[in-house]
Amino acid sequence: MIHFDNVTKVYANQNRPALDHVSVDVDKGEFVFLVGPSGSGKSTFLRLVLKEERPNSGAIHVAGKDLARLSNFKVPHLRRRIGCVFQDFRLLPNKNVYENVAFALEVIGKPRRFIRKVVPEVIELVGLEGKAHRMPDELSGGEQQRVAMARAFVNRPMILLADEPTGNIDPATSIGIMKVLDRINRTGTTVVMATHDAAIVDSMRKRVVELEDGKIVRDQSRGVYGQAY
Amino acid sequence: MRANFIFSEVWIGLRRNLTMTIAVVITVAVGMAMLGVGLMINAQVGMMKGYWDDKVEVSVFLCTKGSAMESCKGKEVSNAQKEALNTLIKGTPGVKEVFFEDQSAAYQNFQKLYATNKALVSTAKVEDMPQSFRIKVADPNNYKAVVQALQGQPGVSQVLDQAQLVGPFFEMLDKLAFYALAVAIILVLAAALLIGNTVRLSAFNRRRETGIMRLVGASNLYIQLPFVMEGVIAGLIGGVFAAVILIVTKVFLFEELGKYLGDATAQLGWNDVAQTITITMVIGVVICVLASFVTLRRYLRV
Repeated sequence: MIHFDNVTKVYANQNRPALDHVSVDVDKGEFVFLVGPSGSGKSTFLRLVLKEERPNSGAIHVAGKDLARLSNFKVPHLRRRIGCVFQDFRLLPNKNVYENVAFALEVIGKPRRFIRKVVPEVIELVGLEGKAHRMPDELSGGEQQRVAMARAFVNRPMILLADEPTGNIDPATSIGIMKVLDRINRTGTTVVMATHDAAIVDSMRKRVVELEDGKIVRDQSRGVYGQAY
Repeated sequence: MRANFIFSEVWIGLRRNLTMTIAVVITVAVGMAMLGVGLMINAQVGMMKGYWDDKVEVSVFLCTKGSAMESCKGKEVSNAQKEALNTLIKGTPGVKEVFFEDQSAAYQNFQKLYATNKALVSTAKVEDMPQSFRIKVADPNNYKAVVQALQGQPGVSQVLDQAQLVGPFFEMLDKLAFYALAVAIILVLAAALLIGNTVRLSAFNRRRETGIMRLVGASNLYIQLPFVMEGVIAGLIGGVFAAVILIVTKVFLFEELGKYLGDATAQLGWNDVAQTITITMVIGVVICVLASFVTLRRYLRV
C-alpha cells in the first residue's frame, strides 16, 4: 500500500536530510506506529505519502501509484484515497459537526443524496451520535478529534494518516481515540500513525517503525515504544 | 460540481471583504466607463468626419466691386477671369466637382443664414454678395493643393476651406478620446491590482478551508473557482455601473453634442453603445479572471 524505496529528502536551506535513505513497506490493512523524537522525520514521511513534498532521491509508491510519475493534475485524486488527522484537529469553526464532515464530500463534488446517507453513518462510527449539530467549540478535545477522524474517513480512504492525533488529548480520552482508529483499521483501511505517546504504542502492540535523524533504526511487528534491545 | 456550494463560498468571500469588494466595483466601473467613453468618442469622431468629409467644400470667393482685398485692386471680377478660373479649377488635380454660386443665390443663402438679424439683412444688397466657385475635393484630407493652386489668381479675393474650420474641433475630440483611453488604462491597471489584493485577502481569510480542501483531494478548479468567481462578480457589478454611465453619457453628452454637429446620420446609434458596453464588459471580466488567477497561483499553491 505504501512503499518507500531508498527515499532521501533534504529541505532547502538545510544540509541535514529529514529522511535519509529510508526503505519501508506498509501492506494493505496494516496498522503502523511511526515513532521517534521531534525532528526525526515522521511528519516528512507523512507529507511525502501525500505528495505535499517531493523526495530528492528514491521512489515512493502509494496505492500502486508511482508518485514521481503522478502528474500534479492527479494529486487530488491520490489524496481522495488518503485520510488525514492532525494534532490540531483542523475543523472549520463556523460549521457544525455534520457540516464539517460533509464539507470533505462537498468539495470533491459528491451528490447531496450520497452525503446525507454516509455522513450520519460515519458520525456514529466515531461515537458522536446525537452531536451532529454541535459546533466545534461546544465539543471537548477528544470529541473534536473524533470529528476530524470522521471527516478523514467519510470518503472511505484506503489509507489513514494520523500525525500525533492524541497530542492535544489527555490519556483517558486518547484510549477512546485509539479505539476509533482501531475500528477504522478493522474495516481494511491501512493506518499510519506518528506519535510520541509511549503508553498508547505499548498498549496496542502493533507494528512500530522508529525513526532517528531521518533513518529507520527499528522496524518491529507487535512492538513497543521503548528500545526493545 | 455543486453550483450552490461554490456560490455560497463566493457570497461569504464577498461579504467578508465588503470594503475591498466595493473598491473593486468602483474602480472597475470608472475604468470601464472611461474606456467606453473613449471608444465612443472615437466612433463618434469617425462618423462625424465621414459626415463632414461629404459636406466640406473649398469656397473660392471672387472679387466684388470695391473689394478690400489687395488681390482685387478694387475691381469686380470680369467674365473673362471667371472663364479662366473655371477652366483652371476643372484642370486642377483632386477636384471632384465644381459649381458656381452667383450673387442672387449667395444673397438667398445670406438671408437664410441671418434670418434672425433683420437689420443686417435689410442693409445688405445683392450687389454686395460675392460670387464664388464651390469645389468638392476628391480627397478631403488633401485640399491644400487645391487651395494653393487658386490662391492669388486674378479675380480671386479669398479661398476658404471649411475643413480648416472643422479641423481643430476634431483634433480636440481626438485628444479627448486619447486622454479618456489613457486614464482608462491606468484605472484598469489599478483595478487589476485591487482585484489581486482582494483575492489575496480572501485566500488568506479562508486558508483553513482551502487547506482542508487540498487535504481531502478537492481539484484545483474546485478550490480556485470561488475566488475567481469573486473577482468576476465584482467585475460584472462594476461593468453594470459602467454600462449605466455609458448610457447616461450617450443621452446627455453625445445626443446634445450631435444636435450642433451634423444630422441624424452622424449620430452615435444605440447599437454602437451596446457594442461598446459589450466590449468594456468583456474586457472587465477578462481582467478580473486574469488578476484572480495570477494571484491565486502565488498565494494558493495546490
